[in-house]
Amino acid sequence: MIRKVLLIISLLVCLAWPALAVDGTKLLREIDRNLSPESYESYRKLINIEPDGKKKEFTLFTVKKGTDKVASLFLAPASEKGRSTLRLGDNMWLHIPNVGKPIRITSLQSVVGGVFNNADILQLDYAVEYDVLDVKEEGDEYLLRLKAKSKSVAYDQLKIRADKAKRLPTKIECLTEANMLIKTLYFKDVKDFGGGLVRPAVIETDSPLYKGYKSVMITAKIKKRAFKDEVFTLTFMPNLESLR
Amino acid sequence: MRRFGLLFLAILLCSIPSATRAEESYTLDLSEIEKKPYSFAGYVEARPALYGLDSSSAFYRLRYFDDPKRQILGEANGRVRLEGSYEKSLFRVFARLNTDLQYNDSAHASERTTFYEAYASAKPADFFKIDVGKKTLKWGKGYAWNPVAFADRPKDPDDPEQAMEGYIVATADIIRSFDGPLKTVSFSPVLFPVYDHINSNFGQNNTLNAAGRLYFLFYDTDIDVMFMTGGGRPDRYGFDFSRNLTTNFEIHGEYAWIRNNRKTVLNAAGAARTVEGEAHSFLFGLRYLTSFDLTAIVEFYSTSAGFHRDEMKNFYSLISRGFDAYTKTGDLAGLARSIQLAESGYARPNAMRNYLYARLSQKEPFDILYFTPSLTCMVNTDDFSANILPEILYTGITNLELRLRAGVLIGGRNTEFGEKQNTWRIELRAGYYF
Repeated sequence: MIRKVLLIISLLVCLAWPALAVDGTKLLREIDRNLSPESYESYRKLINIEPDGKKKEFTLFTVKKGTDKVASLFLAPASEKGRSTLRLGDNMWLHIPNVGKPIRITSLQSVVGGVFNNADILQLDYAVEYDVLDVKEEGDEYLLRLKAKSKSVAYDQLKIRADKAKRLPTKIECLTEANMLIKTLYFKDVKDFGGGLVRPAVIETDSPLYKGYKSVMITAKIKKRAFKDEVFTLTFMPNLESLR
Repeated sequence: MRRFGLLFLAILLCSIPSATRAEESYTLDLSEIEKKPYSFAGYVEARPALYGLDSSSAFYRLRYFDDPKRQILGEANGRVRLEGSYEKSLFRVFARLNTDLQYNDSAHASERTTFYEAYASAKPADFFKIDVGKKTLKWGKGYAWNPVAFADRPKDPDDPEQAMEGYIVATADIIRSFDGPLKTVSFSPVLFPVYDHINSNFGQNNTLNAAGRLYFLFYDTDIDVMFMTGGGRPDRYGFDFSRNLTTNFEIHGEYAWIRNNRKTVLNAAGAARTVEGEAHSFLFGLRYLTSFDLTAIVEFYSTSAGFHRDEMKNFYSLISRGFDAYTKTGDLAGLARSIQLAESGYARPNAMRNYLYARLSQKEPFDILYFTPSLTCMVNTDDFSANILPEILYTGITNLELRLRAGVLIGGRNTEFGEKQNTWRIELRAGYYF
């Protein structure tokens, strides 16, 4: 009888175990939604900081729709004003008004220089580009290990440290397939942007590949907004200013 | 001991403010992103240049026939570009005014001010926009050449990223997006008038030309199909494509077919005749980014509308005969005829049939920030003459762009780059945006 009871208890524990474990994919989607609405407009400033403290700043207006459409327009400095970038899934383009038609660019290049690359600037939801390998609980944080869904994703692996209560990232390490650290993103200054969105306003990044250099991305405004699909096309790129 | 403790405390207290300073706070002032209905921007450029002249080349003799011993030519170039826009509701007006100034020590000073663009737009919906006025349309995927840019002025392959002057057109963009492998379709019809005071240098006057471009994003490939008809120039049709094979490797191409293309060719005796026939032009190119930030752009361009090697040789011989006649008798008739033919097509950039273009640029080598050295090489594969352009670009000061560039032209007699007026040049370009 005792043996039967023990067997039933063991079976129940085994059955209940998956329910107790954290659903990594669901958690990642939650983190994505806490960082931004699925479709939004935002204003950001990127600052590249050199080891001697010299800075170069860029101001961007960004719009995003759904899982795979992002476009950005440079508002400052004057030398970059009017430039725009578009991302449709794995495709990325840069439009320079004087030069002419949009040209294809790659995710690992950077239209602004510094530590942020194009994939960081035109970022899609993490859950769109990555699968969750596992989730660990470490104190008041989750540690998620992510693997890129395809070779075209900028980083092969991500290690996300996320605040358990806020379900927001605090630190993300971006790694190559060989586990080499490419860069680390630090999420700071959690702020209420209105509309129920409370998220870090500042993302800092450094990289062992660019020793002493730092780049910072400041979000000033971000709000939910619906867009037509036609906004995210090469033909529309010169008209992004009209959305402001 | 107590004194040591106080000293330690003082050092600790002093160190606190600096630690606080290290944790910088970042802000974005909302006034920086406030949208105004109007905008104003500008660009000023100074470009001094020095040319090493080849007094025995055909184009030197054509240009400096009365100064046969000049070795060096100094030139000061300036540019001012102002642009502004005003937006109200769904309407917008935009204008870009360009002034080019040039002075060289051959006592030539020139100034040319013109609107590069000046047009009014109406955008009743995100998928529909109309523009009327002077505008550059920028068709094609090529970097150095665009054989399918039917409604644009030709690019300068020496400096393909320069802003260009547009034509007066009425055009629209109609965009549709879809789910699935066909993601985008857009159509851009163009009305292109050619009359006495409107686009009069484009081609046959008193014609209303129609052009159009149909764009698809299909299976992650950009595809354009375009046409132009109406009599201003012979009818032409074309297509282009661009696609990323991998995240750091892009390929692109263009093809243009011109019906009844006309060109004036010379025979060995210097007699000119007009040849009419179909012309085919194509371009194939790639752009590759290495893991160490070297960008390579390679393009091959071929056009049957260009001149054969013999036809160019006959042109150079005509100049030579005209120059000899001038030096012996003072008769300018031969040179005047050569100048006329040069303007009709022989002097245009890349007037022959087959070219290879390669540009290598290395971003921030040796960790020198905002510094990009490049090497560009253009080879005429008909006569194997070449133009080699090393350059360094520095963009470390906000809104200021400094470029130092040299040019070396390689080629023997009767070759395209060997018969240019100079054998080398060096120029500094300082451009400031505001």
